[in-house]
Amino acid sequence: MSAALAGLKVLDLSWVVAGPLIGRALADFGAEVVRVESGTRVETARLMQPFHGGVQDKEGSVLFGNCNAGKLGVTLDLKSSSGQQVVRDLVAWADVVVESFSPGQLRKWGLDYATLSADRPDLIMLSTSIAGQDGPWSTLAGFGNVGSSLSGFQNLVGWEDALPMGPFGPYTDYVGPRLALVTLLAALENRRRTGAGCYIDVAQVEAGVFFLSPQVAQHSYDGTVAERRGNHDAVMVPHGVYPSAAEEARPGRDRFVAVVARTDDEWSLLATTIGRADLSSRPDLATAAGRRDAEVEIDDAISAWTSARTADEAEQALQAAGVAAHKAVSTADYVEDAQLAARGHLVELPHPLHGTTTVEGPRYRLSATPGGPRRAAPTLGQDNEVVLRDLLGYDDARIAALHDEGALR
Amino acid sequence: MLEHLRVLDLTDERGLLCGRLLADLGADVVQVEPFAGSSARSAPPVAGGPAVSSLFWETFAAGKRGIAVDLDDEADVAVVRRLAARADVVVTSWPRDLVEAVGLDPVSLRAERPELVYVAVSAFGWEGPKARYADSDLVVWAAGGPLEPHRDGDRAPLRISAPQAYLHAAADAATGAMLAVLARSATGAGQVVDVSAQASLGVATLGRVLAHAVGDDHPEWHQAPVKRTDQSGSGAATPNSLKKWYCRDGMIELHLSMGPAAGTFTNNLFGWLRDEGAVEEPVASWDWRTVPDRIVAGELEESELDVARAAVRAFLLTKTKAEVLDAAIERRLLCMSIFDMSDLAASPHLEARGFWAEVDVAGVTTRIPGRIAHVTGADGPRVRRRAPRLGEHQEEVLRDWLGHAPAAAAVDLEGAAQ
Repeated sequence: MSAALAGLKVLDLSWVVAGPLIGRALADFGAEVVRVESGTRVETARLMQPFHGGVQDKEGSVLFGNCNAGKLGVTLDLKSSSGQQVVRDLVAWADVVVESFSPGQLRKWGLDYATLSADRPDLIMLSTSIAGQDGPWSTLAGFGNVGSSLSGFQNLVGWEDALPMGPFGPYTDYVGPRLALVTLLAALENRRRTGAGCYIDVAQVEAGVFFLSPQVAQHSYDGTVAERRGNHDAVMVPHGVYPSAAEEARPGRDRFVAVVARTDDEWSLLATTIGRADLSSRPDLATAAGRRDAEVEIDDAISAWTSARTADEAEQALQAAGVAAHKAVSTADYVEDAQLAARGHLVELPHPLHGTTTVEGPRYRLSATPGGPRRAAPTLGQDNEVVLRDLLGYDDARIAALHDEGALR
Repeated sequence: MLEHLRVLDLTDERGLLCGRLLADLGADVVQVEPFAGSSARSAPPVAGGPAVSSLFWETFAAGKRGIAVDLDDEADVAVVRRLAARADVVVTSWPRDLVEAVGLDPVSLRAERPELVYVAVSAFGWEGPKARYADSDLVVWAAGGPLEPHRDGDRAPLRISAPQAYLHAAADAATGAMLAVLARSATGAGQVVDVSAQASLGVATLGRVLAHAVGDDHPEWHQAPVKRTDQSGSGAATPNSLKKWYCRDGMIELHLSMGPAAGTFTNNLFGWLRDEGAVEEPVASWDWRTVPDRIVAGELEESELDVARAAVRAFLLTKTKAEVLDAAIERRLLCMSIFDMSDLAASPHLEARGFWAEVDVAGVTTRIPGRIAHVTGADGPRVRRRAPRLGEHQEEVLRDWLGHAPAAAAVDLEGAAQ
């Protein structure tokens, strides 16, 4: 059976994480995606860990590999007029263009949607940026934590008695592409039925605020300002991350297990499982409100039990009793996780420089038209010939001329 | 864009967001709830008195119509099956045991309607060794990767204080649904889409879940901060306390970056201090691009950096979050206001972009995020109605989807509405 997006042609002018993850998903499900990069101003993700063998190298980043698997790679100097002409030809070839330049940059090059769609009314173009294409913040320079700071996440991670810690990494980079993808696919469905393209403007800050919809709505409703609360939950008690025993296989690494009592009944099961039937039968702990008053005592009891066994042992004993628990999975655990392995979530791919590389599989398993990465992310300029000759029909002389004038750098 | 699609929504709080996204994009989404009401109606945050349902429900069930059914009553369940027979997409996050017990599972529904796209959102996936694990946001966050590396000093790893794991999965479910809908236009056949929240979180670790697999077992987050190696000041090796600063009405994230690449941004910052007379020579005229070299050469002492930090600290205490943000845009600074919910509500940017939608929540006009994306050239995503009351649309849904309300079922469902 053919792939869900078989025949779809995508030009990917984006970089780092939020943009490239979009094209990655499209490639997984059959689209032909051409990723344009600069060979001289090397894109940030190529310089970001983790790296093959722990060695920093622009061809070694698995972050880049995970965001770009399955794409064809071409290097272009977009500042040169002939480089821009190649982009125009790629637009003519493409159904979809994805880009993440600073708002306004493409207009300067005459590559904005209004210009490109003039003779391509069926073109779908998606721009992703920190704050969107217009509005007072649209000129904001993007760096690490801007999206999570301005969307409210930075303030909502941390211990009650400490400074805000913020989420792990540039959090809105993980949110934006998900909202972008569903909108882009809806635009494809719309085009299939009407023939019309459209322009999609995705702002990471807005995507982040959207994932805090309940909290921001509560402020509008009654003025409540949500606050960080460590690992505590608004309803469930106990609800925490507890230390577990050191493991020979993970030398020098602190180990933890997350444990949650979702209901009063599960609290009782939890207390019994950790050998504290006395707590299980205590009437003052029968409700979450009562347990909240005794949270320190309860957390100490759980910690004492978890510290005496491995995170795996704790997880299995609690799950066997029907209590929600899981070890805090490290990168080494991730490879060994039985559930992820059963899904085939990690995919090994041949790589021209590293022999093999590993990327994540798709986040959606489709039973009839399953997707997945078909090849490793391109090395710099790996597919220049294929793209220019086979996709655009350039002859050898034209390719050589582009090469000689430095447009393919 | 999706006005032609019917979505039957059998989710609880785990998958609630999926239908919201499809509804924003135009689909006709019908939320099915048990008589007692969806558990998502009590998902935090819950505001106000006992009659008020949760803001989680009011935001992520917005755009949907709703019916309530007795899942213990075969006639009611039969109505749900008939609705499924008219749906393009069924999405569920109810436990697998429940949907199988009442015959609303993918095998049963797709046997009756092969064109159906059936989307299942779960903690670990539809099948596999952990498919029946007890789950929660924190437990999935632990299993999916983002928890373990995220520590403030020696303390235990931290989650985000607003539950997030299932939002990622439910958004992925909407994408999975659309992939299957697009595939159906070519093949004519539906299929099953299986979304695991655990697997959805891998991309929320900036590639860290892949480190071991490629032999990078010593990534930055496990190294102790080493003096002067992290010149950008923006890396994970910089202690949290050096990146956070108080201002007049809150906190600022600011990196005193130095070195040839990022020192310019700190020069810009000190330009602002100079303009307002907030820093004295010689610190005022430092070129932060050369500061690391000057320290190495012995021209600058670490203690002099403290003078610079003190000047910044005193200056920021006179500025508001809004003023710092404006300066960051105008002067190109690597610093950012740490916004809370009240700052978002007051944001001129979100206002100018028409980000908010207004919905009625228990009689209070409430602003909720209303733009997952801005679309020109097509009818883009927006909030089309407030979240449904329990059983609010029994009659009209049966009429619209089934053509007429079958007498017995209508009576049964009528009871549900009361």
